[in-house]
Amino acid sequence: MADIGYIALFLALTVSLYSAVAHIIGGRGRDPVLLASARNAALAVCGLITVSVAALLYALLNHDFQIEYVASYTDRSMSLSYLLSALWAGNDGSLLFWGWLLSIFAAVLVLQKREIGRELVPYAAGVVMFTLTFFLVLSLFIANVFDKLSFVPADGKGLNPLLENPGMFFHPPTLLVGYVGFTIPFAFAVSAMLTRRLGDEWVITVRRWTLITWLFLGIGNLIGAWWAYVELGWGGYWAWDPVENASFMPWLVATAFLHSMMMQRRRGILKIWNMVLVILTFVLSILGTFLTRSGILSSVHTFAESPLLGYMFLAFIGVTLLGAFGLVYYRSRELRSEAEMESLVSRESTFLLNNLLLVGATFAIFVGNFFPIISEAVRGVKISVGPPFFNQVNTPIFLAIVLLAGICTLIGWRQASVKNLLRNFLWPAIIALATSLALFIAGMRQAGGILTFAISSFVLATILLEWLRGSRARHRTRNENYFKAFVGLLGANRPRYGGYMVHIGVVLIAVGVAGSSLFDVTREVSLKPGDSMTINQYILTFDRLDRFSTETRDIVTASISVSNGGTPIGRMSPEKYFHRSYDQPVTEVAIRSTIREDLYIILVDYAEDDTTAFKIIVNPLVRWLWIGGIVLVLGGLFAFWPEGRRQSASAQRE
Amino acid sequence: MGVKKLCGIALAGVLVMLTPAVTVYAATKDDIAKELICQCGCTLLLSNCNHIECMSRDSMLTLIDQKLAQGQTQEQIIQFFVNDYGEQVLASPPKRGFNLTAWIAPFAAILLGGVVIFFAIRKWVRRSELPPATVIAAEEEDTYRQRLEKELDRFTERGYR
Repeated sequence: MADIGYIALFLALTVSLYSAVAHIIGGRGRDPVLLASARNAALAVCGLITVSVAALLYALLNHDFQIEYVASYTDRSMSLSYLLSALWAGNDGSLLFWGWLLSIFAAVLVLQKREIGRELVPYAAGVVMFTLTFFLVLSLFIANVFDKLSFVPADGKGLNPLLENPGMFFHPPTLLVGYVGFTIPFAFAVSAMLTRRLGDEWVITVRRWTLITWLFLGIGNLIGAWWAYVELGWGGYWAWDPVENASFMPWLVATAFLHSMMMQRRRGILKIWNMVLVILTFVLSILGTFLTRSGILSSVHTFAESPLLGYMFLAFIGVTLLGAFGLVYYRSRELRSEAEMESLVSRESTFLLNNLLLVGATFAIFVGNFFPIISEAVRGVKISVGPPFFNQVNTPIFLAIVLLAGICTLIGWRQASVKNLLRNFLWPAIIALATSLALFIAGMRQAGGILTFAISSFVLATILLEWLRGSRARHRTRNENYFKAFVGLLGANRPRYGGYMVHIGVVLIAVGVAGSSLFDVTREVSLKPGDSMTINQYILTFDRLDRFSTETRDIVTASISVSNGGTPIGRMSPEKYFHRSYDQPVTEVAIRSTIREDLYIILVDYAEDDTTAFKIIVNPLVRWLWIGGIVLVLGGLFAFWPEGRRQSASAQRE
Repeated sequence: MGVKKLCGIALAGVLVMLTPAVTVYAATKDDIAKELICQCGCTLLLSNCNHIECMSRDSMLTLIDQKLAQGQTQEQIIQFFVNDYGEQVLASPPKRGFNLTAWIAPFAAILLGGVVIFFAIRKWVRRSELPPATVIAAEEEDTYRQRLEKELDRFTERGYR
């Protein structure tokens, strides 16, 4: 089976290279026969890589331990679903998975029927196929997933127990779809520059690609945060780990791009800037891969170090940057826009500021991420850049971004009259002030907390008011009832109202982050069975410690009775377990979650006499982070959902 | 209130937001542990490291406890760890010397970008105040529109291929 997989992959490489070259030559000469052949080649590559992936899955499911990858990441005791997830559990497999995804996207790209951007397809497909060729070279010659051992082990090593979580099915693939998907917008941008079709065409073509990719990357990050929260057992969801940062950076730049592309479509400005953003998004997503696989920075996420793979990625990034920015420079005269704006205060200005802050935040994270390397190179001193740096530098920037989301809603396109502005600002400002006052009276004294909640309420108010006004207008002009008017309003411009929903999601996330990072209470205690302790209004009684074994692991479970303000609310059981084939024990946290706060219990350590050390955290408002994440995803999907052809054509013309 | 004034206020507001928050610490074990990186190689904050087999966590936390009991301040205790492990034990680089570049660069870049954007918008606004160079006659525009619609319809029918 391994041979079939390897041969299919090898064929895929040749065909992919042919498809790339044929797309470019066919595109240049406008040769329909050659282009059709290139297109079929792209489809064939997708088929060949699918065969290769199927071969690997077959080997995984049938415990073909002679294949080193299968022996390293699976064992006989693993359930079917975890066996399947082993496809992306290791470096080699995830690279193959990357190539597979890219080949599927390439197939969609060449098959898609489109009204706009047809002339861009040949070169865009060429760029995608070149990228795919690069990944196939890595999969074949540097990280070959089908490498065989000289002997057949009786059993495999199994999956790292930390990865045994439902997160394993969703976090890596969604994140990878996000990373891989940004190749397509990048390819269209390059194609637009090569073909000199520098107008709106490419931006319109990539809007939905970028949106869905951005959404997947966002989902991947959110699931990662949730996974860390329930599995890693330190009470947090975001550690500003270099690899987390690496997946956050392209997401931020893509967010900026999703906003700035509207400027190009509406006003014909920011053409160069859009090119820069698309190139940066793509390069940053490759950079993330480089970080996880090169071992240059230490992180919990890194695969086994492979310097050669690192150099390959670095070279790829270098070539991409040089080539793409070279093209931008070469075409800069044609990209320059005869921009005009009516006023300094307009929605356009808020979009520019939003872009500045999003890219600024990315830059801050980039600096923090790489500063240990810079410091060592310049001063020869090893330093760490951890959460305190990122929190301090990014909190003000992110607060400003959230605030802008509110301000932007209130300011009209083109020109805002002062009278209008004041009228629009009045209610949201009153609501924000009332929120601050209420929080202050309720006893909150942290300026950061009050500011965050005030800004959040301000933004929520602006969006809800906008919806109310729109619905009222429809109610009046079309005589619809309010509910129908509201639904009609949202449906009338899905990209816009989807965007607002995303903003609501972001605000809810901000509320969750502020609540859990500013107002968390932590206590570390050592308890004997029968002992009680108090944290906030909760009383925890440690009943007993149980030890038992299953086929694969030894488990230690603590039983804790919890009462909330005197009322018993049930039993919580934090665990620790020791996997037979792994040294590292796994912490299974006990979480009791409400919309108000999470009670989070970690079993830290235990002694022979059952004296047990616990870390107990009360994390306020965490659930709002997950709710906000869901709202963000729903909003993104709402904006993504295809409009009817006629409707979309009229929207384009508007 | 003039538009300029409003803009100024908005800008001042943004600047205020951009000023890093000052945090005041009451030194407890957890506060100090949040300022240090665990030295077992996990790269986590000392307060977050929770591996049973992590040896450095317990010894570091015990040291903090002892030194707090001796009445040492947060600064003294953190300095002790820096002397022992070097600067890499700190969770964030101290705000002095070369490290300042990391703290300042993001804000400097944003400020610079802000200035560039301000002047760009002003240029664009001025340009729009000039009268348009040519005016397309109504009939001429009509011919273009008809042609455009015809071509769009043709694209819709034929699609890609």
